[in-house]
Amino acid sequence: MNQDEQLQDAKLQEVARRLGAAAAARLDVERTARAVVTRLRQEPRGTVLSWVAMRPPWLKIAAVLVLALGAGLMARGAWRGPMPRAAAVVPLEDDLSGLTAEQLREAINSMDQVPADEGAGDADWGGGGLSAAELRALLRALEG
Amino acid sequence: MTPAEPVAAVPTDAALIAAWQGGDEQAAAELVRRHARALARFLAGAGAPDAELDDLVQETFIRAFRALGKFRGQCRFRTWLLTIGGNALKDTYRRVQRGGARIVPLGDELRATDGDPHERAVAGEAETRLQEGLQRLPHMQREVFLLRAQQGLEYDEIAAALGTTPGAARVHYHHAVKRLKECVR
Repeated sequence: MNQDEQLQDAKLQEVARRLGAAAAARLDVERTARAVVTRLRQEPRGTVLSWVAMRPPWLKIAAVLVLALGAGLMARGAWRGPMPRAAAVVPLEDDLSGLTAEQLREAINSMDQVPADEGAGDADWGGGGLSAAELRALLRALEG
Repeated sequence: MTPAEPVAAVPTDAALIAAWQGGDEQAAAELVRRHARALARFLAGAGAPDAELDDLVQETFIRAFRALGKFRGQCRFRTWLLTIGGNALKDTYRRVQRGGARIVPLGDELRATDGDPHERAVAGEAETRLQEGLQRLPHMQREVFLLRAQQGLEYDEIAAALGTTPGAARVHYHHAVKRLKECVR
């Protein structure tokens, strides 16, 4: 390295050491410290974002997949429309109160047509508590 | 003769970090006091404009405190902080570029108010040229150069902070110096 290059190196080093010194000197360190502490106080430690940021990439991918799967299942459920819950929720008595004798007879007939291996004969009707035999008794009472 | 007063031990960065993690806010404030100026010098050297400097210093500390769980002591806290500052500055550039504006660092000769005006102007001119040259360097070369030439760090320390090898850091520095010499000639 010749003298010229050495001088150039020294000059570069000197300028680099000075670089930004004036700007740094103007920084109000106390104010900065207060501002940082205030900001740290405002955001609770261990937020979801910081938790996510600190997890390894494979765990983040797994979390995204689980969320996507859950969203997919929900969307699928919505696409198929609401579940037919009315039969299970509505009390049987309410259903029966509005039925005519003819409608009751049809209902009993339809129950009798259910294959025997499903135990339809005296089975509960939609979980309402009345069996086919009880319905027949109800029908007789309605018919007088 | 009065007995000598015991000298209060200055807590290490590691002790302050542990205290902060245990809920001591003053430990965080002390870490800021200790490293804010070096960080500001690094950021200003890397091209942070005056108007953004305070925000960038704060943002860097916030990011650092959030990520303290990832700091394994592979290098000194200050070195780690400077690399976080470098990334925060890079993000600021990206944000500004997306918005269509451009960050123009203000030369120190326009900001300094003390000393001989002629000397100040000459020194400021060299600094401005160096700063412009730094802006044209690849990110890694710029960071290695500043950590070495401005902050006076060893290659081992620089390499640990930037996730590279000391040999690679030396090569980056060599390339940076070669290009920057032209700027301050």
